[in-house]
Amino acid sequence: MADRYLILEDGSAYLGEGFGSPAVSTGEIVFNTSMTGYQEIITNQIYHNQIIAFTQPTIGSYGINHDSYESILPTVKGVVVRDVASISTNRQRRWSLDQYLKQQNIPGISHIDTRHLAKQLRASGPMKASIVDVADAHAFDQLGATVLTNRQVAAVATPKPFPNPGTGLNVVVVDFGLKHGILRELSKRACNVTVLPYTATTDEIINLDPDGVILSTGPGKPQDLPESVLTMIQAIQKRVPLFAIGLGHELFAMANGATIIKLAPEHHGANHPIREVITNQIIYASQGQGFAVNPDSVDRDKMITTFVDLIDGTIQGLRLRDFPAFSVQFFPDGAPGPTETRDIFNEFVESMQQARGPMW
Amino acid sequence: MQKEVVDSMAMKRALTRITYEIIEQNKGVRNVVLVGIKTRGVYLAERIAARLEQLEGAQIPVGELDITAFRDDQPKDDQAPSSYQLAFSVADKRVVLVDDVLYTGRTIRAALDALMGGGRPQSIALAVLVDRGHRELPIRADFIGKNIPTALQERIKVSVTEVDGRDGVEIIN
Repeated sequence: MADRYLILEDGSAYLGEGFGSPAVSTGEIVFNTSMTGYQEIITNQIYHNQIIAFTQPTIGSYGINHDSYESILPTVKGVVVRDVASISTNRQRRWSLDQYLKQQNIPGISHIDTRHLAKQLRASGPMKASIVDVADAHAFDQLGATVLTNRQVAAVATPKPFPNPGTGLNVVVVDFGLKHGILRELSKRACNVTVLPYTATTDEIINLDPDGVILSTGPGKPQDLPESVLTMIQAIQKRVPLFAIGLGHELFAMANGATIIKLAPEHHGANHPIREVITNQIIYASQGQGFAVNPDSVDRDKMITTFVDLIDGTIQGLRLRDFPAFSVQFFPDGAPGPTETRDIFNEFVESMQQARGPMW
Repeated sequence: MQKEVVDSMAMKRALTRITYEIIEQNKGVRNVVLVGIKTRGVYLAERIAARLEQLEGAQIPVGELDITAFRDDQPKDDQAPSSYQLAFSVADKRVVLVDDVLYTGRTIRAALDALMGGGRPQSIALAVLVDRGHRELPIRADFIGKNIPTALQERIKVSVTEVDGRDGVEIIN
């Protein structure tokens, strides 16, 4: 294993050992506190162009299997760990993490003090970072000069519509960089799904005669998306049941007059307790969010706050008062993470059934 | 044979959704009162009221209605209350009637009669946990927890923790 460096925008450098691809790469570094689920996290498109640092000390112990992809190809820029498992065992294992990252041309770096790194990132927020062979002035110059794209959604969302046929309710998913878990949960409920690009217009959606619409998860800052997305949401939410997730939730909030704030520290993990306001019940959910809805900007005559994060009080769910349109900030598909939140897909299905009326 | 068609989780979710729908339809909870039809409808109404309070911070009045004396299929029972029973007036209120199962519609017809002594409500809506079909009167529900198509000879059993020690809906045939 070759010595490699993780260098950060603020001038700090960590010496480690390379694994995966030997490529040099640059991205925004974020840390994730999930203890398991590294495959889902690495393949989640919300981490497009980012370097993920795992705080769980050993990563890779069960390898990579073919049930846990959250996208066809991962687009992360690097994986930072304390220790990468040299032996991985699981009956579903197809590859080791090291092999997988080599195949996908993603560099990994181990032997990093991820505890120190996480504390640093908690204080500073996400920064630009590179995984490099030499941590000299040139490398830092290059890092400083790199401008990261703010067109992440365009890079990962589908450019063309595609179907995921089923025999049940007709659902349109507007793709901002969706994770497969959303499609998986809809498949389990036999939904007949059409995935449309995020540029889909209201007419394009309504002409498919959906029983309900989902706004998917995705990477980046919601304000970077075109205004037309908000116009589409404003029209759709009055027509059919709407379920917005992650980035979709932030856009849903913006379409209804709320503003978005940068979250510090960000939430990336599977262990945040969240309170469902209506039942006062505590659930746990998997999260990956760098932004949150500003609670002071929510128009209470128009929207109800349905879920609240118990650790920092951030809004985790919203609902329109006058229409069956609701959203969650966390990942309700539980891939990876607690699965109790999958029940929200049942709620969505029941809202669609209620809106279209009994079948007899 | 018994088959559980709604478990406690699904029942909770249905009541949660009905609560949101009540807010949607009434544009809030101003003037809304809940009236549960005895026995299980009362507990369902109380659960909906608890949810409305969590969301809106408002105490919604919950009334109990015993419709025995208003039924059209049983001999008159002198023990049962046959006049207006609620502790509050329904005049100019948006009443949401709550029952567990909607079947022939005769219970709801009786409940409407039992309400009428209390003034002229602004509106009356009906929330039921289960709609099993087979209506004999022109009555429909505004808020439905679950549509369960049934055969006539089947029975639907709704259990609530307060009475039966557990939550759930079963089909028995």
